[in-house]
Amino acid sequence: MSEQVLNNIRTRRVVREMTDEAVAREDVESILEAARWAPTGGNLRPIRYVVVEDPQTRRLIRLVAPGMFQKAPVLILICINWAIIEQHRMTLSDRTSLVDVGCAAQTMMLAAHALGLASGPVTSFSKEAIKVILNLPGSYSPEMFICIGHKAEGARRGMRAWKKITWRDLTHWERFEDK
Amino acid sequence: MSENWVLTETEAVELLALLISSARIQLDEPAHYAPLRLLTATERLSALMLERASDKSKAFLQDNIERIPEMHMAMSDVETYTDGLDHLCREVAACLLRHSSSEGASA
Repeated sequence: MSEQVLNNIRTRRVVREMTDEAVAREDVESILEAARWAPTGGNLRPIRYVVVEDPQTRRLIRLVAPGMFQKAPVLILICINWAIIEQHRMTLSDRTSLVDVGCAAQTMMLAAHALGLASGPVTSFSKEAIKVILNLPGSYSPEMFICIGHKAEGARRGMRAWKKITWRDLTHWERFEDK
Repeated sequence: MSENWVLTETEAVELLALLISSARIQLDEPAHYAPLRLLTATERLSALMLERASDKSKAFLQDNIERIPEMHMAMSDVETYTDGLDHLCREVAACLLRHSSSEGASA
């Protein structure tokens, strides 16, 4: 089982080209259910999800999201609901909530991959335009879209790596030496 | 005016939305994303124009639609990226000349 989990992590890729094929509702719900288990600072759970399947709304979203190359059949918008943070009188920084966004995003993308679906994150969009298009409550800030769908045949590979790296390049063991 | 209109008002507004959103998000993104956003707008404008464009532009527009997504992925390879952009500059210049010469002919 552990090898299956690790293999799911290793083989997930950001997919930028998807087909029109619909995603089953139960799969979308499974992905959202997985996200519910993502870690969250202070166990506050300030993250909220907005699922968009309507073709016209998805089209409008793409027009204010220059980074959304996919024409995905399902978009899941990850929002921070600042009202929840205020309710708890917590002095959480933006950074803490953004960590929650990242944890939720990766959890959803891994869940999608486990279900045989393609996914890709998008943060390059106008937040103000998205608030208008989706009529978001005032306390919601839109942070990241997760595009869900089926990988297009012959889909191009993602952006080429700037530099070949391994986990060793990213890791330092123990305390740094004094300069 | 003898030339074709190649965009509807709605399509033009859609392009405006993309350009304005690109301008805003660029404030939060690395500088090298700026050409990427301009190219995305170029690709979408090309797709919108293609259906109604004249033969003077069609091949150029089709080339943009096919070439630009590939260029996005090559951003980390500066030489390839620059070559791709230079290619587009040459092609758009040739397209300009085709339009310019036909304008002169009709003047």
